[in-house]
Amino acid sequence: MQPSTQPEKTEKSEETKPAEPTTPKKDRWAFVHEVEKLPGGEYVLDCLQCGLCAGTCPTRFAMDYSPIQIMKMIQMGMREEVLSSSTIWVCSSCYSCYSRCPRGVDITTLMMSLRNLAIKEKVAVKKEVKPKFHKTFYEVVKKYGRMHEPEILIKILKKSDLNELYRNAKFGWRLWRKGRLQIRPTKISNHAEILAILEKTAKEEAQ
Amino acid sequence: MSEEPRIGVFICHCGGNISDTVDVAHVKEVIGSLEHVKSAETFEYMCSNPGQEMIKKAIDEHKLNRVVVASCSPRMHLDTFRQAIKSAGLNPYLLEMVNIREHCSWIHDDKAKATGKTAALIRGAVERARFLEPLTPKSLKVTESVLVIGGGIAGIYSALELADKGYQVYMVERNPSIGGHMSQLSKTFPTFDCSACILTPKMVSVSQHPNIKIITNAEPIAVKGSPGNYQVDIKIKPRYVNLEKCTACGECAKKCPVKKPSKFEEGLAQEKAIYIPFKQAIPNCYTIDKDYCLFLTRGICRICERFCKGEAIDFEQKEEIISLDVGAIIACTGYNLIDSKLFGQYSYGFHPDVVTNLQFERLMLQGLHKPSNGEAPKKVAFILCVGSRSTATNACEYCCKIGCMNAIKHALLLDKSVPGAEPWIFYTDIRAHGKGYEEFYAKARDHHTTFIRGRVAEVIPKGNSLIVKAEDTVLGKQIEEPFDLVVLSPALVPNVGTKELAEMLGIDLGPDSFFLEVHHKLRGVETKREGIFIAGCAQGPKDVRETTMESMATASKVATFLGKGKISVSPEVAFLVPDRCNLCGICIEQCPTKAIKKGKKEVTIDPISCVGCGICVPVCPKEAIDLKHSTEAQLIAQIEGVSKEGDTPPKVIAFIEKMTAYGSADLGGQSRRGYTSQVRLIGVPSTGRLGLKHLLHAFASGADGVIFVEGDDSLFKEDQLRDRVIQLKKDLGKFGIQSLRIQSITTTIPQYEKITSLFDAFVERISKLGPIPKEKREELEKYLKGEQIATQHTT
Repeated sequence: MQPSTQPEKTEKSEETKPAEPTTPKKDRWAFVHEVEKLPGGEYVLDCLQCGLCAGTCPTRFAMDYSPIQIMKMIQMGMREEVLSSSTIWVCSSCYSCYSRCPRGVDITTLMMSLRNLAIKEKVAVKKEVKPKFHKTFYEVVKKYGRMHEPEILIKILKKSDLNELYRNAKFGWRLWRKGRLQIRPTKISNHAEILAILEKTAKEEAQ
Repeated sequence: MSEEPRIGVFICHCGGNISDTVDVAHVKEVIGSLEHVKSAETFEYMCSNPGQEMIKKAIDEHKLNRVVVASCSPRMHLDTFRQAIKSAGLNPYLLEMVNIREHCSWIHDDKAKATGKTAALIRGAVERARFLEPLTPKSLKVTESVLVIGGGIAGIYSALELADKGYQVYMVERNPSIGGHMSQLSKTFPTFDCSACILTPKMVSVSQHPNIKIITNAEPIAVKGSPGNYQVDIKIKPRYVNLEKCTACGECAKKCPVKKPSKFEEGLAQEKAIYIPFKQAIPNCYTIDKDYCLFLTRGICRICERFCKGEAIDFEQKEEIISLDVGAIIACTGYNLIDSKLFGQYSYGFHPDVVTNLQFERLMLQGLHKPSNGEAPKKVAFILCVGSRSTATNACEYCCKIGCMNAIKHALLLDKSVPGAEPWIFYTDIRAHGKGYEEFYAKARDHHTTFIRGRVAEVIPKGNSLIVKAEDTVLGKQIEEPFDLVVLSPALVPNVGTKELAEMLGIDLGPDSFFLEVHHKLRGVETKREGIFIAGCAQGPKDVRETTMESMATASKVATFLGKGKISVSPEVAFLVPDRCNLCGICIEQCPTKAIKKGKKEVTIDPISCVGCGICVPVCPKEAIDLKHSTEAQLIAQIEGVSKEGDTPPKVIAFIEKMTAYGSADLGGQSRRGYTSQVRLIGVPSTGRLGLKHLLHAFASGADGVIFVEGDDSLFKEDQLRDRVIQLKKDLGKFGIQSLRIQSITTTIPQYEKITSLFDAFVERISKLGPIPKEKREELEKYLKGEQIATQHTT
């Protein structure tokens, strides 16, 4: 553990344009304790900064901070930087880091918890597609009781990126011909049960 | 006790330390009026010369035959006063000490209460003193020979040291040759000494030393006896070659038709079924591997026999068991590398070019090449912390301690054997903690070794090369680099059979499954069983330098143990009343040192192995066991003395284990950590000494609550104590005494806060419960006098 390397690290990886590194906060432990209470954050102080998570991460290239830096930032109490980082949204939940972490830190679950926290605190980054995706996904599932890919895609892309939508439409055509895609949405037979589940989780989440 | 006890009580002021809080004169008056007390004195400093003279004079004058000294902790001055009464002609065991400083004056402010408590404590001691008996430590002749289990560098060094001191040493080695892992190494860090060049002369010295007998291909199978006089059975496996006749000419191996992977070469080379592990092997003799030999597996061949000129091949050899008499045993069974196949992401076992550091040593000595195609590797990755410093399943939490320096050594050696080669070291933290190690690390940095701080995520075989994927945590960048060879530094784990050996020897394993020493800092080579010592990597990972130094320390400890020719054994041991024993054998299971043995017609307690913990005493249903210097009579008298009469309820008795827990309470006193004066401490060998009877006596004679305080490292383990207390609570329930009146706790020496705060909380609880009613006490007393009472009560 080398606290002094932290500012250096972010400085050198400037090409990914991270937020300006800031000095550790005085109330750093407050954030650490907050994270410790989140699912997956129990062992955040056990992290020995070996870097295995970052080395193993398949979506590391798209992150502004690597998972190991996120862990260190949590330990240093850098709340805003952590919650506004793209890392927590880029994580694809493949669980490679958790399965290999020598200290058993459940990084993947922690990333999900941090996403929730970021949304709750309304610091979810605008440029990130993922918060929107999550929202849309939820809406669609609520509507039909199951996924419907074309609708999710159209809802996300129709306002922001029509070119992308067009490219995806061509891809969707190919999928449809192979029978891998349904154009028309179908509802599941017992839709009410799904709604009950969603309602209950939302209620628990609110508590 | 034929003679009438004449007790002298000496109360120390301790220069105000005691007398400022305790009315010493009043205590003297109270105690002086007790039965059997012939003299009661106070003095400014009892431990000083005039104080001791005073005791001697009083012994002379009043014809005293028991002495009670009330002063500081017996941990401080027990020996001082024992010597004093010894020089006055009394047996040292006729002294009883009362701790009225650490356990009373230093922790209480209320003078009246402290005085009352002091009087109670001394009264208990006086009562106990009535039953004290003279005891003499037993002395026992020891066998002046040593068994060294394991012939690695640790075994070799301790054997040589001891043999030079004149002891007969037996060295037992499981493999056909001594030498251990060190014989497999190329060079040693940080000096680049050739490992074989410094080891083999020592191996030769061992084989030629008149005081050392090497027994190879052998393992101990049973250990009997007691410290100083162990009998060890050794099983010698047949090697099918006559040790005396074999000249190691090698003719047999040339003709042998069977090939097998060589264990010495870590599977990187082949050898014949009749083999010698390495050229400089001691004893220099061939061995037949019975799992591969055609004759021993299928009954045909015997070619080696035909070609051996010395007629050394002997297929008639049978397994042999010999018995050795030794005074001490050194267990130095060494380590193994953890199986790297457990960590699949490194591709070990899937690709031949992923090797362990031990295999890399062999590759270097064979002439460095890639195992896959024999080419010289240009770019080599060294991966540290494989399976160590991890809490994952199958992995080890501790540091392997040698991986960093080993990898640095390899990086430097690589530069020499393959010019222009590129060593990359992937590390988590570089630990260069020894003399010259940091400089060695600096040297590697100078020699263009690439250090990447980051644990390797995976090794992916791709064609001829291996892709290593990791994060450079300093740059914050992910890297994927191709390498020719990947060298892993696996964790060090205890050798195969360490657990079985520990059970056989009756010693403990630590949480890391290595042998456990008595004290991490102060007694690093001794084990809980006297006469059994440990050395080298069997105690924990260490490098060659540390191993040799530890081995010499072990040898010195063994010499100290055996050097006097005899050992003095504490007389405070359990003894049996044979008439009462019904051979039920319950005590045998309870004994932590296996001192109790069952014969055909009797049970015997070995006074040498017995450590006097007293765990066996209360479990005996026939009350056939008693403990010297803490006999039933002495203990019960003390309990009654402490709890009878005097001051206000509630009265709480804390039974405190005499070593660790007592030390902890002493430390609390030294730190002036005040607690309630209602608690009186009675030292016992271990809380396992106590049974239902003692509690009933305590409650009958005035106590309202009882606490058991046990040391964390005691032989009476925490779960045993818990079980015992649960049982006692049930039993007390039958007498109508609430289970809340009894409590147990374990502590280490620095954790005095834990016990003192328990005392406060417990007394508060007992105050709420209120004192035990007088009628109940009378009932208990009646019961104790032999009258059964109806057991259905609810209070």
